Amino acid sequence: MALIRPRTHSGHNDPQLAGPSRLDRVVEIVLSGGLLLSAALLLAGLLSGRAPLLWLGVLVMLLTPVARVVVVTAGLVLRRDWLFAAVSLWILGVLAFSFYVAWHVEAPRTRPAAAAAGAR
Amino acid sequence: MSEASTLVLVLLGASTGVVGAMLGLGGGVFLVPLLTLALGVPIRGAVAASLVCVIATASASATVNLNRGLVNLRLGLALEVATSIGGLAGGLVAARLSARQLFVIFAATMIVMGLVMMRRSGQRNVIADTTRDPGVLGGRLREGDTLYVYQVRRLGVGLGSSLAAGGISGLLGLGGGIIKVPVLNAFCGVPIRVAAATSTFMIGVTAAASAMIYFSRGDMLLPLTAAVALGALPGSLLGARLSERVEARSLKILMACVLLLVGGRMALEGLWR
Repeated sequence: MALIRPRTHSGHNDPQLAGPSRLDRVVEIVLSGGLLLSAALLLAGLLSGRAPLLWLGVLVMLLTPVARVVVVTAGLVLRRDWLFAAVSLWILGVLAFSFYVAWHVEAPRTRPAAAAAGAR
Repeated sequence: MSEASTLVLVLLGASTGVVGAMLGLGGGVFLVPLLTLALGVPIRGAVAASLVCVIATASASATVNLNRGLVNLRLGLALEVATSIGGLAGGLVAARLSARQLFVIFAATMIVMGLVMMRRSGQRNVIADTTRDPGVLGGRLREGDTLYVYQVRRLGVGLGSSLAAGGISGLLGLGGGIIKVPVLNAFCGVPIRVAAATSTFMIGVTAAASAMIYFSRGDMLLPLTAAVALGALPGSLLGARLSERVEARSLKILMACVLLLVGGRMALEGLWR
């Protein structure tokens, strides 16, 4: 069974324009999963006062849109919607670039500050 | 952090989520000034918390909007490319302008957009003739039992505004929806609900890119961010469902009021400092 419906001719009758498609459903599941996990971690962290749980909860929240872009890119490739798959891949590239900058350029500059924040 | 202040933050996040999800804004326009001015949170911590709140609002309302077929994936992707380039280029342009100039330019833009939205609030972008071809970027929209078609016009204006939105998003802690949604609705022929749903779908990605930098630098105030995000989740689910029951005209008037309010505040800040 194909996970994603094949794209109709030139996309003008694309099912996703009139109602939810299978790709929409998969994206919805990924988003809901990420949010539920993140909310559970944040709630547990707030109630127990444990910073590592909060840290993990925020991280999961930040990674949820990334997982969403990965799924959409894969879905567009499976639909053979090459132009928009390339567009989606570009967005993934920008995200990867900014995450690289965050952890390899920005974070090393502020190591002491980051350690202090972790202890807060 | 006391329990009372945690509750205030959760409620703040929830109300931001409701309005943000209805209008396709992340909520940074309300959250950053409220956190800094009313609660005395340092600006970097406020921007970081607001970015996480944008992600929560965007992801949660997308789960509702996808189900209703309101998110225009292709249009969103096309605009997101412009936003991401704007985000990368934003620093270069902004370095040549003072904070005061930035504030005045954006205040003027928002006030003009607010007036345009107010004037156009009675006009509809949808076409009742369903045999009309929506084009590559247009789409169909169901309202009650009626199916409508809309076409995207003046794509250049939409792309340009997304570029500008990307440029300011990291600088001012705004998601950029406040620029994109009115432009898409007033100039590009996109129905307000589709513009809002498509905007929220994409701004989560823009916010994630900026938020990771604050996160890795340790600027994130974790308990504060957690409380606001936990409020924003149910708030945005409620807002996304509410937008279905509110008339498009009322949504546009609400948007116009937000634009005039935010524009006025930015103008004051720009002119007084």
